[in-house]
Amino acid sequence: MENLRWRPTVNERKFIEHALQSDLRVDGRHSFDFRKLKISFGREDGSSEVQLGETHVLGYVTAQLVQPYRDRPNEGTLAIFTEFSPMADPAFEPGRPGESAIELGRVVDRGLRESRAVDMESLCIVAGKHVWSVRVDLHILDNGGNLIDAANIAALAALSTFRRPECTVGGDDGQQVIVHDPEVRDPLPLTIHHMPIAVTFAYFGEGNIVVVDPTYKEEAVMGGRMTATINSNGDICAIQKAGGEGVMSGVVMQCLRIASVKAADITSKIKKAVDSYTTEKALKKVKRLPASLPQKINVTDVTMENKGDGELETQTVKASDVQNISKGDEDHRNMKGNSPLIGDRFAKHKQTSTFIGGPSNWDPYSKGVSLSSLRISRLPDPATTSKASSHEEAQPMLTESSNAEVKSTSSSGAAGESEEAQEMGSPKSLKDAIKPKHKRKKKRSDRS
Amino acid sequence: MESRRPPPSPLVDSYVVPGDVVLDLSEMTNQTIKLGTGLRQECDTIQATSAGMLRLSKPNKYWVESSQKRYIPSVEDTVLGIVVDTKPDNFVVDIKGPNLAFLPVLAFEGGTRRNIPKFEIGTLIYARVVKANSIMNPELSCMDVTGKAAEFGELKGGYVFDSSTGMSRMLLSSPTCPVLEALGKKLSFEIAVGLNGRVWVNAPAADTVILVSNAIMRSESLSGIKQRAMVENLLERLS
Repeated sequence: MENLRWRPTVNERKFIEHALQSDLRVDGRHSFDFRKLKISFGREDGSSEVQLGETHVLGYVTAQLVQPYRDRPNEGTLAIFTEFSPMADPAFEPGRPGESAIELGRVVDRGLRESRAVDMESLCIVAGKHVWSVRVDLHILDNGGNLIDAANIAALAALSTFRRPECTVGGDDGQQVIVHDPEVRDPLPLTIHHMPIAVTFAYFGEGNIVVVDPTYKEEAVMGGRMTATINSNGDICAIQKAGGEGVMSGVVMQCLRIASVKAADITSKIKKAVDSYTTEKALKKVKRLPASLPQKINVTDVTMENKGDGELETQTVKASDVQNISKGDEDHRNMKGNSPLIGDRFAKHKQTSTFIGGPSNWDPYSKGVSLSSLRISRLPDPATTSKASSHEEAQPMLTESSNAEVKSTSSSGAAGESEEAQEMGSPKSLKDAIKPKHKRKKKRSDRS
Repeated sequence: MESRRPPPSPLVDSYVVPGDVVLDLSEMTNQTIKLGTGLRQECDTIQATSAGMLRLSKPNKYWVESSQKRYIPSVEDTVLGIVVDTKPDNFVVDIKGPNLAFLPVLAFEGGTRRNIPKFEIGTLIYARVVKANSIMNPELSCMDVTGKAAEFGELKGGYVFDSSTGMSRMLLSSPTCPVLEALGKKLSFEIAVGLNGRVWVNAPAADTVILVSNAIMRSESLSGIKQRAMVENLLERLS
C-alpha cells in the first residue's frame, strides 16, 4: 500500500538537522543518550521482551538435537531468525525479508556467533552425531527506530534465560542420547562468555553530527548510520557501516569509545534484569512444607498472614522446625563449600538463616522419604517463618539462597551428584538441629 | 402535542457503542435529520455504528465522535496534508486517510494555469476537505468557501508530529485547551492543528518548538489540571 508508507516532510527534515546543530534532539535527549530500556521475560525460559523507547522486540530461544556440520563435529550451532511483522511498520511487507531485515539478522548473528559469545562446544553431546542447535527468533513488534540494538538486547536476554534439557549418553551401545524431562532433571543454562552489545550511531549534516540510538524520524532523516558491537571488556566484536554518508576516521574512533561506555551500561542492565528474573523463577519452585509436621515450638508469625498467599495460611509450619532444619543445611552447605557468599551473609543475619533452599535432605521427622519426594518437596518460604526479620530482610536472603541453589544445580552438572552429597550430610543435620535450637531460643527471647 | 422540533436524543453528549439506538423515527413526521459519521438509519431507528460520544449540533445534525490514529475524511474538515506526488491537474496529498487525497492545482486564491504553485514532495499543506466519501479519493482545496486564501496553503519551517483525532479536536476546542493555555502564558509559538491527527508547531527557537511538541504529545491522556501541572513542571525544569 503505497500511501501507507510514512514520508518525512521537508519541515521535519530541516528542523531535525537544525536542532541537532544546537545539540538538541526532538525528543529532548542528549546526543549520546539511550532511550529508556525495559527488559521483561515471558513464562517460558528463553523468551524475552525488550522495549527501547517506542521500539518493541520479542526474542525467543529454542533448541533441538541435530547432526553437527561436517567440518565442526564437536560444536553446536546457533542461528538467528528475524521476523519483521507488518504490525511494526506499514513499510514491512509479509513474506520475503527486506534489506533491513537481512542486515539486522546478519549484524546480530555476527555479534553473537562469530565473537564466540555463546559456547558452542558445551552443546556437543556425541561428537559427530548429536549436538544442540540453538535457534533465536526475533520478532519486531513495533518499529520506533534503532531495531538492531533492541533486537540484540532481546537476543542476549533470551539466551541468558534459556535452559536446555539435560541429556545423558547411554543405551546399549553408549551412543543413544536420553533427553531428560525438565521435571526430572533441571534444565541447564547456556554458557555465555561475554555479552556483545550493539550500539547504533546516526550521522547527520555531512557526517559531523553524531547521535546514539536514533528514533524512527531521525532514521528517516539521517545521512548514514554505523553499528558497533562491543562487549563490556572493550573488545570490538563487529562493526557495520553499510553505505550512507562518508564519515571521518576520527569520528569513527570517537564513536567506538562512546560505544564501549554504553556497552558496559547496557550489559549491567541486562544482567540485572536476568538475575531478578532467575531468582524470581527459583522462588516459584519452592514448595511449601506439608501440614503434617509435628510441632516443636509455637511461634506465631505475624508476617505469615501478610504474605497474602493462601497456601501459606493453611500451613502449620512452625518456625523452629524450619530453623533447625535449615541450620543443619547451612552447616552441610558450608561443609560443601560451594556457597561462600551465603556463609558470610548468614553470619550477619543469624536470626534469618532459615532458608537455604537446597534439595531437601533435612526432613528428620518423616520415615522413609523417597528420593523423588525429597527432590520435590523443599523448604517452605523462609519469609513466613522468620518472625524477627522484616519482609525486606528476608527477601534478599531468599535471593541469595536461591541463587546458590541455581548455581549448585548447574555447576554440579548432574543433579544426582548434589543429591548424594546432601544425603550424606543429613545425619549431621539432625544433631546440629538440636543445638542451634537452644541458641535461637535465647536469641528469640532476647528479641521479644 | 406534536412539537415542531424533535426532542433531542437522550444520548447526546454521552458515550455510545455500535448498535445503540440513538433516535426512534416512528414518532417523528416530516422532520429532516442530518446524520454525520458513525450513524446509520435502520428502518425506523437511527443506530450508532462506531463507538464514541454522540454529538448534536442544533438544530438537527447528529454524529459520533471517536478518537483514532487513522483519519476518516469528512467534508469541511481542515487537515494537514503532505504532498507525495504532482500530477498535471492535481497534487496528490497524504492526509492519513484510507486513500490519498487530490488537491487541484487551481484550488488556490487567484489560481490560474499560469501561476500554479510549485510544491515539492514532502511539502506540508493546510487545506480543507471539499469532497469525501468512502468510494472516491477525497478532494481538498486551499480556499475557503468564499474563495479567499484564509491561512490555507503551504506551511514553512517548524516541526510536524502526529496525534490522535480526538487530541486534535481537543486542541481546537474553545475555550482554549489547558495545555495550550499553559504553554502560551510563558512561550510564544504558532500552531496549526489538522483534524486528521497532525499538528504543526513553529517558534523562533528550536528548543521552544521541541518543548511545545513534547508537551502536547504527552498531554493526550491527561486531564486539564494534570496538563497544567505537567507543563509547569516542564517549564521549570528547563528554565
